[in-house]
Amino acid sequence: MSSKISKPAASPWVETRLPFLASWRAHFTAPVLAPDAPYLGTLPTLITAALVFMAVSGFVLSIHYDPGQGFASLQFIDRDVNNGWLIHAFHETGTTMIFGAVYLSLFRIIYTRAYRAPGEMVWVLGVAQFALLLLVAWLGELLTDGAVSYWSLAGATQAAGNFAGLPGALGAWFFGGPDGPGTLARMAVFHAMLALAIFGIVALHYAARRAITPPAAGRVRVSFHPYYTAQYFVAFVIFALIFAVLVFFAPHLGENRLNLAPANPLAVPVAVTPSWYLLPIIDVAGAFPAPWGGTAAVIARLAVLFALPWLDRSNPAKPGGGLYRVLVVVLAVDLVLLGLVAGAGPSTATTVLTVVFTAYYFLHFLVLTPLVTAMEAK
Amino acid sequence: MMRRFCAAALAGALLLAGAARAEDTLNPPHWQSEGLLGSYDKAALQRGFLVYQTVCASCHSANALHYRDLEGLGFSPAQVAAIASNVKLASGPATLDDVFKTPYPDSAAAAASFGGAVPPDLSDIVAARPGGPDYVYGLLTGYGTAPADVTLLPSHYYDAGYPGGQIAMPPPLKDGQVSYADGTQATAAQEAADVAAFLAWASAPNLDAAREIGLRAVLFLVFLAFLAIATKRKIWRETA
Repeated sequence: MSSKISKPAASPWVETRLPFLASWRAHFTAPVLAPDAPYLGTLPTLITAALVFMAVSGFVLSIHYDPGQGFASLQFIDRDVNNGWLIHAFHETGTTMIFGAVYLSLFRIIYTRAYRAPGEMVWVLGVAQFALLLLVAWLGELLTDGAVSYWSLAGATQAAGNFAGLPGALGAWFFGGPDGPGTLARMAVFHAMLALAIFGIVALHYAARRAITPPAAGRVRVSFHPYYTAQYFVAFVIFALIFAVLVFFAPHLGENRLNLAPANPLAVPVAVTPSWYLLPIIDVAGAFPAPWGGTAAVIARLAVLFALPWLDRSNPAKPGGGLYRVLVVVLAVDLVLLGLVAGAGPSTATTVLTVVFTAYYFLHFLVLTPLVTAMEAK
Repeated sequence: MMRRFCAAALAGALLLAGAARAEDTLNPPHWQSEGLLGSYDKAALQRGFLVYQTVCASCHSANALHYRDLEGLGFSPAQVAAIASNVKLASGPATLDDVFKTPYPDSAAAAASFGGAVPPDLSDIVAARPGGPDYVYGLLTGYGTAPADVTLLPSHYYDAGYPGGQIAMPPPLKDGQVSYADGTQATAAQEAADVAAFLAWASAPNLDAAREIGLRAVLFLVFLAFLAIATKRKIWRETA
């Protein structure tokens, strides 16, 4: 390979005290990588880049955003701040891009069964990142203070108030009691703080991935630069291209249009449905009985994802079977249908279908996965 | 060669422009701003603003709009200043930095005038209603006599374009309610279409800018994508 080992450090004094060059060499210029990493392998990096982009655009928005004004404050940003509409659209559509990449990444890992040993820790950290992203995205949606998100917040504070004991105390600490004039300011702080916490998980995820990456086996090995930088650049440009199309030509894709009207404390909108990325996780209100139903359904849904490496009973050394892959595709279809049904708004039919599709979700993880994988292990 | 191509493109563009002028935007109703590459029809926006100012503004507010924003409709600064100075606020004539005049001191006063119904703020009505400008147009042209099986609530009107069919707003538009400076015939349907176009602009005043930047960004990124793929293939060729 043409990659040369870099020259010794220019300044040994700095290098012995802050070994950046050695680290740079180990990561970027040492020819240690297998030459066949797929394009989808760039997804974690794309997600991280998008998170940085969100942090920057969110910082700019936070300078102009006033939680006391809520909806009117975003109108001010959209209409009166120089290019405020652009930064707002970046932040809004960036969420869609991140979740698109996260859902694709989760699907890919389940489909290829990369969560099996030794990938458990990478998987658990990935799901933790997903869970935190859902929370941060929901908090961000509350900050828009639209007709829908207002009632989403009101419902959540009310549900939190119904809990006793530790969950009740946690809810009171988080929301500070029933929805009131100061609640959005609280949510803005949590939105920013938890968003920064995601970067901590990103770092752990990266370390865990490096720890289990096997050394390249074949004769041909390449360095990260220029080989993989070229590949990542292609992936990055395609990602940016999709982002540009969405942000400029379909700015409110997957959002509930009713949320573009200001909050009205006297009128509940026809459908209190969140943006598309929250739909498969947050149920139609009322599909599960209060006070624990909705909260427990969300927690249980994430819990089975966390438990997946241990629900799979197959031998990690053997490649996966075909039946399991069919089931994973069926699960993906089930989740898409669940999202569509939840987005259609409340009715008897959607409540029934929500329960059916949710039941299948748990059936997949708690019954079908152990069964099929145990059969494979024989 | 290049000149011949330009001449053909110019002829084509003129042909399209001619077709656009003859286009009937009311049958079926459609708006130039719709679709992926749509942009606002400034003439329709200005006509729609005239309808808005003459009819809608006497009951509805648009709290997110300032008079200075009207330059986005293609009005000159002098025209906008004249429009603002003709609006009488409690503090005197409106200035460019005033918010559109609010017709009622508060929502209770508005509700008292309409049997409990509050005229909604129109700043974001097109963005916030499924159907957008079609919804506004359908509502404004949907008035009619109630079918036999519908019993109207007191001080309500039958409107096929409104969810539930019963609306507290009296029919606002009629033929010749305004007279357009550009000679367009002011039928009720034309007024409804124009005010829907204006309200679409009010909801998304940056649409034209977004499309303009977006087209450049997408073209640039498509070019960059080809460049990136070519670069990647060249770099990886020696490893194969």
